[in-house]
Amino acid sequence: MTLRLQPVRVATSSEDSDGQLVFVDGFLVAVLVHLSGQHGANAGMWFLEAGFGLTAVMSAPLFLDVDAAQDWIERHLGTKRITAGL
Amino acid sequence: MASTLPHALYPLIRKLESVTRLSDAERQAIESLPVRVRTLSARQDIVRDGDRATQCCVILEGWACRYKFLSEGRRQIFSFHIAGDIPDLQSLLIPLMDHTLGTMTQATVAFVPHESMHDLTARFPSIAAALWRDTLIDAAIFREWLIAMGRRPAFEHLAHLFCELYLKQEAVGLAGEHRCPLPITQTDLADATGMTAVHINRVLKEMRGRGLITLYRQTLVVKAWDELVRASEFDATYLHLQRRAAG
Repeated sequence: MTLRLQPVRVATSSEDSDGQLVFVDGFLVAVLVHLSGQHGANAGMWFLEAGFGLTAVMSAPLFLDVDAAQDWIERHLGTKRITAGL
Repeated sequence: MASTLPHALYPLIRKLESVTRLSDAERQAIESLPVRVRTLSARQDIVRDGDRATQCCVILEGWACRYKFLSEGRRQIFSFHIAGDIPDLQSLLIPLMDHTLGTMTQATVAFVPHESMHDLTARFPSIAAALWRDTLIDAAIFREWLIAMGRRPAFEHLAHLFCELYLKQEAVGLAGEHRCPLPITQTDLADATGMTAVHINRVLKEMRGRGLITLYRQTLVVKAWDELVRASEFDATYLHLQRRAAG
């Protein structure tokens, strides 16, 4: 499983516009957004703005940095794949 | 600390009179219910999912909510409750709890034994009808939440909820002039609307930015009521409120 990031601007109707597209093996699996100053204590964290397929969860945690977000995505896809294989 | 203070249940009477009419005899019968009054801290469960309830809980002061936990800490809040509500009234006929009732703020509550409620409703079928009416309105509110959860965009959903929470409080004299207490966190709002706290934060900022509301120190002020109503396609019919002036 190879993750690749691509910077993107996201129209969130807020000050949060700095984002990253996350691809796994060429497939778009998630859109991450960097939380702006309007989020107080959560400013600077990364938010799973959208997930596709196995990352389309209702609630993901906020991530300290992009690495943590990528770890979560890898873990999430990995776990789901094992579960799906049972 | 058992208490049979008269009028301890005044908030309940005020609530029922916001949705129905009560005679003097009915009011007195409610006031003479035996109650145990307790002050609970914030975020304290009152009756839990799976419990077998033997009493009903009347909120006298403060806020409570009904909710259910899912795996991975996910929580869905079904309803917010204010003074006068009996959030676990259904336990009178369905004692096995299928969700949890807990406080959101510090709260004063009155516990009434089920047998006393059964006795009251047997002696006063009109009170049984009033409680039934209240339960049906509760169901109407659930329908509106269902619509909001499934079909309303975030902004419209939250605006609709604010209209509802203001009017419910205004109906029982806890709010006026488009200003009401809102002692709940952004996480609570997220859990009640199925959104994330991030989305709640964005929508609140947009509402403030458009001059519709202010939300400061747990007080919601609706600066542009008509516009909030329009933005959320809010129609108060489902609350079935009686005009207090009409008695």
